[in-house]
Amino acid sequence: MLEEIDLFRLSHAMARHAGARQAVVAQNMAHADTPGYAARDIAPFSAYLGGTAGFAPRATRPGHLNGSHAGIAPGFAPRIDRTATRDPNGNSVALETEMLRAVEVRRQHNRALAIWRSGLGVLRAAIGRN
Amino acid sequence: MSEFSNALSVSSSGLRAQAQRLRHVAENIANADTPGYRRKTVAFAAAGPGPETGGVSPGPVRLDRGPLREIYDPAHPLADATGHYKGSNVNLMIEMADAREAQRSYEANLKMFSQAREMSSGLMELLRR
Repeated sequence: MLEEIDLFRLSHAMARHAGARQAVVAQNMAHADTPGYAARDIAPFSAYLGGTAGFAPRATRPGHLNGSHAGIAPGFAPRIDRTATRDPNGNSVALETEMLRAVEVRRQHNRALAIWRSGLGVLRAAIGRN
Repeated sequence: MSEFSNALSVSSSGLRAQAQRLRHVAENIANADTPGYRRKTVAFAAAGPGPETGGVSPGPVRLDRGPLREIYDPAHPLADATGHYKGSNVNLMIEMADAREAQRSYEANLKMFSQAREMSSGLMELLRR
């Protein structure tokens, strides 16, 4: 029901993007000492917005925003981060970079939840309950 | 929700792997003076059949093939004709560095675990009120 309102759809997609990226960052952290592991990352949320027109989240494949929830969210595909430098054992995870991403993800998630909550507040005010 | 539970299970696999590594470091340090002891090493590998299950698993424990230290002590029961016996090949400095690295990675994983938990509980918070 709430998904039909643009604001909720956007913040929903934003929170799901944060969740998917959090899973990827956690995976990178867990593999910080695995030889030959290449660090992965999901593009920032702004990359998934369809330009300026309508400011709506763009479905990159059918069933993206309401699709199946198995594993990492479809549509937010993790890619191998090719800019990272590699250790002698082939591992390209830098804990500091991952920390930075983790903070970014948490702030994005908090922001999405705050938007959702305030939108909900507006709806509640509209039906006369606070 | 499944992203969060996936993140939690991946983080816990990382925690487990680092804890096992720390245990082997402790074994190595404890046996630094054991004659003939070879230091144990463990190389991590991706867990599960597919490459994308995400978790990490400690691989098989291997023994360091490096040469054992020759220690001169003619009074030692294991000493050979020249008065030397073979000690362990544990280098305390390397073990300390390894322990510190394992601790750092452990803390990073723990942080990821608690962050995923906070994010999912923030989601739950929406339902209250």
